[in-house]
Amino acid sequence: MKPAAFEYFRASNAVQAVGLLQQYREAKILAGGQSLVPLMNFRLSRPSALVDISGITELARIVPTAHGLRLGALVRHQDLVDNPMVRETIPVLAEAAAHIGHWAVRNRGTVGGSLAHADPAAELPAVMVALGADIVVMDAEGERKIPARAFFVGFYTTTLGSDALIVAIEMPRPREPVGFYEVVRRHGDFALAGALVEAGESTGAVTWFGVTPAPVRMAWTALAEDEGLRRQQWERLTRDLDFAGDEAFRRPLAVTVAERAYQRARGGH
Amino acid sequence: MVETTRIELLVNGERLTADVEPRWSLADVLRHQLGLLGTHVGCEQGVCGACTVLLNGEPARSCLIFAVAVADGVAITTIEGMNRAEGMTPLQTALREHHGLQCGFCTPGMVLTAHALLTREPEADEGRIREALSGNLCRCTGYQFIVDAVAAARPAYRKEEP
Amino acid sequence: MAEQAMRPQMMGARVARVEDPRLLTGQARFLDDIQVPGMLELAFVRSPYAAARILDIDTGKARKLPGVHDVLTFSDCPYRLWQRTEYQVGQPALADGGVFYVGEPVVAVVADNRYLAEDAAEAVRITYEPLTPVLEMRAAILEEPRRVHAGAENVFFHRSHRTPGFEQAFADAPLHLTATFRLNRQTAVSIEPRGTAALPDPASGRITVYASTQSPHRMRSDFSEIMEIPEHLLRIVVPEVGGGFGMKANTYPEDLVVVAAAIKLRRPVKWVSDRMESLLADVHARDDIHDVEVAFEPSGRIVAVRDHLMADGGAYPAYPFSGAVGETSLAARVLTGPYHIPHLATEIDCTYSNKMPLGAYRGVWGPVASFIQEGIVDRVARRLAKDPAEVRRVNMIRPEQFPYRNAAGAVYDPGSYGESLERALDLIGYEERRRLQRLARESGRYLGIGISAFVEPTAMASSEAGSIGYEACSLRIEPTGKVTAAMGLGPTGQGHETTMAQVIADQIGVDLQDIVVLHGDTDSAPFGGGTGGSRSGPIGGGAALVAGRQMGERLKTYAAHMLEASFDDIELGNGKAWVTGVPSRSVSIREIAEIAYTDVKRIPPGLPIGLELVARYLPTRSVSFSNGTHIAVVEVDPPTGLVSVIDYAVVNDCGQLINPTIVEGQIHGGVAQGVGAAILEALRYDDDGQLTTTSLMDYLLPQATDVPRMQIAHLVTPADGEGGMKGMGEGSLIASPAAIANAISDALEPFGVLVDTLPVTPRDIIRWTAQSGF
Repeated sequence: MKPAAFEYFRASNAVQAVGLLQQYREAKILAGGQSLVPLMNFRLSRPSALVDISGITELARIVPTAHGLRLGALVRHQDLVDNPMVRETIPVLAEAAAHIGHWAVRNRGTVGGSLAHADPAAELPAVMVALGADIVVMDAEGERKIPARAFFVGFYTTTLGSDALIVAIEMPRPREPVGFYEVVRRHGDFALAGALVEAGESTGAVTWFGVTPAPVRMAWTALAEDEGLRRQQWERLTRDLDFAGDEAFRRPLAVTVAERAYQRARGGH
Repeated sequence: MVETTRIELLVNGERLTADVEPRWSLADVLRHQLGLLGTHVGCEQGVCGACTVLLNGEPARSCLIFAVAVADGVAITTIEGMNRAEGMTPLQTALREHHGLQCGFCTPGMVLTAHALLTREPEADEGRIREALSGNLCRCTGYQFIVDAVAAARPAYRKEEP
Repeated sequence: MAEQAMRPQMMGARVARVEDPRLLTGQARFLDDIQVPGMLELAFVRSPYAAARILDIDTGKARKLPGVHDVLTFSDCPYRLWQRTEYQVGQPALADGGVFYVGEPVVAVVADNRYLAEDAAEAVRITYEPLTPVLEMRAAILEEPRRVHAGAENVFFHRSHRTPGFEQAFADAPLHLTATFRLNRQTAVSIEPRGTAALPDPASGRITVYASTQSPHRMRSDFSEIMEIPEHLLRIVVPEVGGGFGMKANTYPEDLVVVAAAIKLRRPVKWVSDRMESLLADVHARDDIHDVEVAFEPSGRIVAVRDHLMADGGAYPAYPFSGAVGETSLAARVLTGPYHIPHLATEIDCTYSNKMPLGAYRGVWGPVASFIQEGIVDRVARRLAKDPAEVRRVNMIRPEQFPYRNAAGAVYDPGSYGESLERALDLIGYEERRRLQRLARESGRYLGIGISAFVEPTAMASSEAGSIGYEACSLRIEPTGKVTAAMGLGPTGQGHETTMAQVIADQIGVDLQDIVVLHGDTDSAPFGGGTGGSRSGPIGGGAALVAGRQMGERLKTYAAHMLEASFDDIELGNGKAWVTGVPSRSVSIREIAEIAYTDVKRIPPGLPIGLELVARYLPTRSVSFSNGTHIAVVEVDPPTGLVSVIDYAVVNDCGQLINPTIVEGQIHGGVAQGVGAAILEALRYDDDGQLTTTSLMDYLLPQATDVPRMQIAHLVTPADGEGGMKGMGEGSLIASPAAIANAISDALEPFGVLVDTLPVTPRDIIRWTAQSGF
């Protein structure tokens, strides 16, 4: 399990990184390496070159904005867990980040890397979709924003071009309480199913992950007070989900995680 | 022939140089170029934790890091860097007293992870200890005596009151 | 003082291990730490097909890559495991014209380092003609869809056994039930992967093979026989081994290839398995199906059990021990466990398939036998609406029945069967747990309590570690009085350097730190059986004890002579020998050693020069049974299908304990593996025979957060062999899957669930419970 040979470049700023991506068409970005390097060790991914952006310190910052937070692409998962600003402004982000892998992985893995990798069972893509984050990407044309809800399009597939780099994520402060729940076989595993539920007074939305090829957000109006009726509503919402041929297992899980995330949003446990 | 790059690593307080291929993992470079064989390789996919080292005091998988990509000035601590002239650390001693190891292959990674945890959270309770160690697989001990040992080592990490 | 030497000081003491400091400080040296100048690394090209003919192998491009020294195929390494006729087929070291499972070694590449070797392995071009794989046990028995090996029937091992009067007893019983039990494929997954390094020594013409193995002498014999290397020109050295669990007891095709490559290239060559290789090609285990019928009475008494035992042995019998034969034939001998079940009929079929060969993993036959026997008891209890503990009491072998001959003819030496059950029920607080379970159910929570009473045959005449029933210990007191022992054991974390020293220390009266126990080097150790089958404690410990006693007698003879006292009045302790009651009349062992080696004229008449001996110990019993009871408490969350093991109690009886802390560590580890076996670990092949679980993201090992805190109590029913020890390395993994399975069944009793397949997955639980309106 040794990776194939590659050329290695260390970028000192985002513009340079984008230039290298253009120059080496089969290059990949190396940030924390926690998703990419295992694939390379299995030789399932064999980029001809790696563009290492981990030294670009300005991409590692968390800064407050008028509406919430701007996370540099290199912010580590453990920073999301520990950072007081994150914990206060978007507590569900810190909560979700704590469920990513294990400590050693969170110390290296980056927000941008997780979003670019787009594992359907990963937490951060779902958080971004639920909260309506914008993903700031840079390519030869310059910087632009892609709404998270238009970014994840399928299994490990995004609308990020192969010559583009995620530089930041702009996250709004949630207006409503958001509950997070996921089902994992072991602590730190990728989720079998997970959900974030934004629970407003009468309206709200659920974002599922792990059950479909990419996170899916669905809004509702008027949710029942009675748990039994509410489960039927979740059930109806799941009818439009693409369970990728594993419906018997995933649909009941989807209902359960939605209900439990909802209860957490409403202050339960 | 294969091209190599000269790199400088700050390992256990020493500046060491090695000629590496970009694809060589930090684990392989520590082990096979620098002779620091206490770092073990168990899965090369970041799951088992045997290759755990500390980067600036925080645990990281040395099998998922290319040595060439370790930034200048990052302090790498391997199990060899835990050793003191006067003998084992209180954590290592506790692991021995509590029979927190059997085959010992996962042990260096366990020691480093537990050390980082207690440095950060000297009051970590059993739940926190288990959570922090959950990324370090042990096939021999069933973890109980490891957890007991880490708990027993807590006093050594408490800061003295001024 | 007078009694000091009579009372063992070290046997039974919770001594900290002598192995630990080097392991804790990163100074221990494992297989991959063996590095010598000029060493080359080897990588394998493995079969991507479950079954295929090989039409062509083109190594031309690979040979031209930088750093490549050689590319080997079968003709470079024309050896087969199982050259003898037991099983009609034997695995070639490298594929010989065809492949029979995914992961089978086909070509070996030797290069400057592993990176370059893998590059070259990728460049080897092999043309295959795929064949229909044989993947299902029941079909394979019927020779469907075809034979795995054209020249051999798919059923490679068949046995049947029936107690006299079985059919009548079965028919006469008023109640019957049937069940099919399935244990999926699992494997040991030592955290240190396997590995082998071969170092030809041009000066002596000998070859030193460093091997991550449990059985050094057996491996030397294997190389010698299979590769026709004279045995005296071979040296096997076992460095630190990072876990074995039975999986490292085999000689593998890769081992032969490494040795052949080193001989061919006259260079040191090393191969270390990576994790993908380890999941593909470390022997697999379990993979059993049992069709069971049970006859019982309204009282809960079980009268007769019929079982068709099937195991999927994979493509070849692993060498020198087919796991399928072990899984079934030994299970058939202890299928009645600790219960007095008078009638048994067993039929065994071990089949070939296009999967990785089956070998040993801790417990071998035991986890499945316990799963069935404890599953049967719980089914009887469920059917009769009785408490599972009560049905166990009704059936348990009683103390007056020892020595007990079970329905398969196995003879149990005395144990604490009923007592261990009662102690375990106390330890877990059984009645209170039942009350809490009822309360929890009222609030929609599903707690379950699972009992598993077990027997563990240990110290057997043959095991996966080899077919010799004895162990040997050479013992030498050095001229300065320090002590060197050497044994043929192959410890993989059990702490034999500590426990064997404990046994010896008592016998010769020296401090633990004055004894070194060497092992795993065929140049230093007397021929021995290695470690496996829970034999090292009772048989290895017995050998150490006998060697120590003989040395102690020699020391006493010296002392009696020197102190002009009677032999019977000499006591040993603290590095000295003295006359009973007169501690001032003493001589140090160092002084004795000086005489024995240098001042030899003073050696007492009749004694040889030096203080050196070899003792061999062969137990008179062919097997000794440990026993105990495990109780697991689980909580099942039906909507997510998740199981948490929340509490656990073990009462264990392995006779005399050498070091209770080490015994407890062994139990903890086995229970953790039982958690894996019960709810996490499965090797899955798809319909094409591709292994889909080739990483630790797919093959799930228990983490610190998955394993409960365990309470352990010891009972001691000494064995009648030397030292009174019984083996105990496997019992915890024998008992624990059944305990957890039964606890899950118990938790899901409202849904009518009785677990019959392990591991239990979230998918299973959701399927069982989803219709019920969550």
